[in-house]
Amino acid sequence: MSTAYPIPSDISPATVKNTASLLRIVALSLISGAAIASRLFAVINFESVIHEFDPWFNYRATRVLASKGFYEFWNWFDPTAWYPLGRVVGGTVYPGLMVTSGIIYNFLHALNLPVDIRNVCVMLAPGFSALTAWATYMFTKEMKDESAGLLAAAFIGIVPGYISRSVAGSYDNEAIAIFLLMFTFYCWIKALKQGSALFGTFAAVFYFYMVAAWGGYAFITNMIPLHALALLLMGRFSSRLYVAYTSWYAIGTLASMQVPFVGFQPVSTSEHMGALGVFGLLQIVAFAQLVRTHVSSQQFQRLLYGVVVAIGILGAFAFVFLTYKGKIAPWTGRFYSLWDTGYAKKYIPIIASVSEHQPTAWPSFFMDLQFLVFTFPAGVVLCFRELRDEHIFVILYSVVASYFAGVMVRLMLTLTPVVCVASAVALSTLLDTFIDPTEPPAEEDADDGVSANGSSSTAPPSQSASKKAKKAAASAPTKTALGDFVAATSSKGGSPRPKGIFGLDSRLVVVFNTLSMLVFFVFHCTWVTSNAYSSPSVVLASQNPDGSQHIIDDFREAYYWLRQNTPEDSVVMSWWDYGYQIAGMADRPTLVDNNTWNNTHIATVGKAMSSSEEVAYPILRKHDVDYVLVIFGGLIGYSGDDINKFLWMVRIAQGVWPDEIQEPNYFTPQGEYRIDDRASKTMKESLMYKMSYYRFNELFGGNPGVDRVRQQQVPKEGPTLDYLDEAFTSENWIVRIFQVKKEDPLGRDLKSANQFAQGKKRKRSKPAPRRRAIV
Amino acid sequence: MPKCWLTLPFFLLAALTVASGQKVENTAIVRTVELGGSVVHVTTTYAIRSLEDELKSYTIALARGDKSKTSWLEATIKGQKTSLAIKERAVHGDNEYQLFDVALPKALSVNKTLSIVFDTIQTHATEAWPAIAGQNDEQALRYMTDVFVLSPYPTTVQRTKIKSQTPRVISFTEPKNIESFAASASAVSKSGATVVYGPFNNLPPSTTDEFIEKYQQPVNVHYYHDQPVLEILKLKRSVEISHWGANLNTQDEIVLYNAGPRLKGHFSRLDHQTQQFYKRPAPHILPALTLHLPSGIRNAYYYDTIGNVSTSKLRTAPSVPKNRQGTQFSVLEFKPRYPLLGGWNYSFTLGWDAPLEDSTSYDKDTGRFIVEVPIMTPILGAVVDDEELTVVLPEGATDVQFAVPFPASSTLQETHKTYLDTTGRPALTFKYKDLTVKQAESIFVSYKVSWSAHLKKPVAVGTASLGLFILGMISRRVNLTLHQKSKMS
Repeated sequence: MSTAYPIPSDISPATVKNTASLLRIVALSLISGAAIASRLFAVINFESVIHEFDPWFNYRATRVLASKGFYEFWNWFDPTAWYPLGRVVGGTVYPGLMVTSGIIYNFLHALNLPVDIRNVCVMLAPGFSALTAWATYMFTKEMKDESAGLLAAAFIGIVPGYISRSVAGSYDNEAIAIFLLMFTFYCWIKALKQGSALFGTFAAVFYFYMVAAWGGYAFITNMIPLHALALLLMGRFSSRLYVAYTSWYAIGTLASMQVPFVGFQPVSTSEHMGALGVFGLLQIVAFAQLVRTHVSSQQFQRLLYGVVVAIGILGAFAFVFLTYKGKIAPWTGRFYSLWDTGYAKKYIPIIASVSEHQPTAWPSFFMDLQFLVFTFPAGVVLCFRELRDEHIFVILYSVVASYFAGVMVRLMLTLTPVVCVASAVALSTLLDTFIDPTEPPAEEDADDGVSANGSSSTAPPSQSASKKAKKAAASAPTKTALGDFVAATSSKGGSPRPKGIFGLDSRLVVVFNTLSMLVFFVFHCTWVTSNAYSSPSVVLASQNPDGSQHIIDDFREAYYWLRQNTPEDSVVMSWWDYGYQIAGMADRPTLVDNNTWNNTHIATVGKAMSSSEEVAYPILRKHDVDYVLVIFGGLIGYSGDDINKFLWMVRIAQGVWPDEIQEPNYFTPQGEYRIDDRASKTMKESLMYKMSYYRFNELFGGNPGVDRVRQQQVPKEGPTLDYLDEAFTSENWIVRIFQVKKEDPLGRDLKSANQFAQGKKRKRSKPAPRRRAIV
Repeated sequence: MPKCWLTLPFFLLAALTVASGQKVENTAIVRTVELGGSVVHVTTTYAIRSLEDELKSYTIALARGDKSKTSWLEATIKGQKTSLAIKERAVHGDNEYQLFDVALPKALSVNKTLSIVFDTIQTHATEAWPAIAGQNDEQALRYMTDVFVLSPYPTTVQRTKIKSQTPRVISFTEPKNIESFAASASAVSKSGATVVYGPFNNLPPSTTDEFIEKYQQPVNVHYYHDQPVLEILKLKRSVEISHWGANLNTQDEIVLYNAGPRLKGHFSRLDHQTQQFYKRPAPHILPALTLHLPSGIRNAYYYDTIGNVSTSKLRTAPSVPKNRQGTQFSVLEFKPRYPLLGGWNYSFTLGWDAPLEDSTSYDKDTGRFIVEVPIMTPILGAVVDDEELTVVLPEGATDVQFAVPFPASSTLQETHKTYLDTTGRPALTFKYKDLTVKQAESIFVSYKVSWSAHLKKPVAVGTASLGLFILGMISRRVNLTLHQKSKMS
């Protein structure tokens, strides 16, 4: 057989095998290293700090776990959250993440390695991303081969869609969940392939870990049954499927019910019914198979028909009945919002107000996946060519995940692994074809060969890879199953014509193109990671005039001030975004936080913020609020501030008190959202507006003050506060803290007390009511 | 060994020989009080004349109020540097004063004179008055002391000078009922920044209840102070010596407190920024702290409970060779996250690595290492209320000895386990109270480390990893399959 380039022939197969194995190990460790290293931008550019909002709660819970032990954590009732309600943390949290870091922490300390718990938490996500790369390798290996596995591992290691949730410091459930997701799927595929109860149990154990770690476990809960159902409908029922599914479902469901936050949901909510239904269906089908071996085929046909219809009708009725009776919880709002993107905006403003719950904008697909967006469909198509059981899984996964990723930005995360897998399959097929040195035997009609050669070499690289793969597959030596398939389909027309790639130049063009795509991918990933995804958001960065980095540290300044200089039991009210941060950094009780379980409580805060001082004051006093914290970006142009979030507060408050708070009142008559002279009266009198702009224009020394976020001039007359006192303002005015005054000791209302103190005469426009009483 | 221990028996003898008869006369007593924020420096000079032969000790009295404030004292002969041994006498009942016996360097014969300088440092001696002040207000402090310096001997003339750092003294007390000693009607005068009480002539021995009841009286000086009054409520310093890394790691956990007048009302950033803009900082606000760390340090870190203090800067200086006297420092401009106003706290952690050879030497004759450990990093004008200093020696260090410049309130030796230790390291813990810049001296610790102790860590780590590899090897080679399948492909 002729080859395009010389290959050494005097190497023993054992040497090749060992070398390949060594290379794989080296490649995997390098990929792990790259995965970890690219996530360290946040630590190097900033510091080893916990990022954003939710991670602060996880970190706080982990500290409790590490310092007080597991049982204390399990029974932890946190009276400082959701003041005055409190929160049963042990029962309302997915403990997987905290327990993982707690175990790592205790293990390291048992070895006398004094690692700070904060560093364990910060480095957990990068560490697990290395494991994810390995799990993806194992998973893709089942799809195609080791080389595709390595490609997939490299992709998942650096793809921004996953990095966005797993940079160092982003200590959130997703950090470990993606590893668990991929490993559970790997175990499932392995169990399905081998019919192995052992791997089924592994899948169940990792499923349990996943349930303990992330609310997104429902994705597995529905993906695996969907796969099983699809196999069933395709007539691919086998004892392997039966063993794998039942061992996974039985053990996994029982295990998942041990997590207190999940409890009896697996048998009582609609989201979990699919898994249960498929479990039942599999029993029936298995039983039918058994019956079939004992009765004649005609009888069996009739029997099957009757039984399937009866059971189908019965099952549907039972489901409807149980839902109606309330035994099975109906679909939740979050679920509906997955199908109707406008649903949340109308009915659950809290969910809609979170930016990561918005539908994904198309540029973010490219930003998060770059060229994998184009190779992903090719990989999925390639899966169709062979269509083994596991390929069906990838196809289903990619369809479902693509839909969800389009609906919600945060679900991009679940799409990313399958994109990496499918793209790796496509690219690896491409590379296999073009690197493979065997040339097809020279034909009699050379024209054909030349044209094939020409078309493939001139084909632009952006052309659908699947086309090339088709050609490639056709030319590939018959050892791949894909080749068989194509050969079989093409042979229908006539005698198989040998196809393939001649010469080195055509190979080089394609390989070079592919390699440069990969290289650009690396550059893109690095750039996106360092610029977009590595900001801790508690610390902001700007540049000094000389180009050096300047850190804007207002959040921590204010939180630390609260922590050190206020009484330990003083209650801080802020919008819920900052609840976890205040609890974590300032260690003070908060009214509402990022665990948005009580809509009314949040609406109360929204009402207090959006009403006038007189209306808000009784609310504040009733909730024992000592300090009110607002975020104001007007001075340095920090656009994520509370005035920009204000309309959500109004909307959420309006949802509960439609008579008192109306959104249109906060706009100008022209329907504009303004903060300057033309702002509506309600807007100007709202507590949020007053606190944000309190004494702001004095900063400009007589010149008109400009809000740099809204690009509007603030009114000349700044707002005055009667019921609150400014307690602290951070260096760049981002965080402003106000103290709620206590009632006047003389029993006056604070407004008139204030006027009296300022020496203003009380206006007596009306006669004093006392006089009238005498009359 | 500290000197005072050696001279202890001598003191007991000296104390016995001091009988009640007058053996000494004070020709002049001058007390100078240098007012500050949390630290007040009091120097009392006793010019004495012996009335008998072989005078070996001299007794100094401190009023009870002064005694409780005094955190450090030293007696020297004027013009000399060596300090004299001081022995504190037991207090009887509710005496209004405390007596100290100072051992004279050589016995004094009749009519010979000598000047003894008695230096004390008082901490927490001033209080903010008024106790609350607005953000733009001045900071005024009040210092209270007794008008007479007590002495068990008759005194010819006595003066008390109270010096403030700025000439802006608001008020001072006019002592009463002192006509019998004072030459003029007013026994107090003020010139510039100094308030002088006295001169008072021909005082009888004043360590009698009668005198104290009749004449002794408190005087107040109320003055403006331009620097913030700083207190370090708690300082936890841990020093770890590593021979493997040739490194001396020092870590301070500091709780800083502004003990000036508490802030009236609230903090206004606008006013603060206005003050900064016009360069008129309020005297009781601490915006930043300049710390002098040792030269040659590296990997310095400063963080608090929630992360790096990104506002601070460090300029390091290279190490100074050992045989040369160097006064170079690494300068840390430490800026707390927020300006520290009166009554505010700020706690942070500060640490650094330093080359071990800068502070350690090896004695070839005895085979001992000697390490110099500074008790604290001096912060000018601040008092350290409580310090806990832990010195962690290398693993396997034996025969640990130490020498302290002044006795600690408690000393403890225990075992500390860290970084891959198997048996743990000896750790010494010293506790101190009310430290000032004067006490920023060093503790010397010496110990022996054998070669085998040095090798403990690599051997332990090597054994553990070897064990892991062997386990891996075994698990690869043992077949645990229950029933052997025939080969599939």
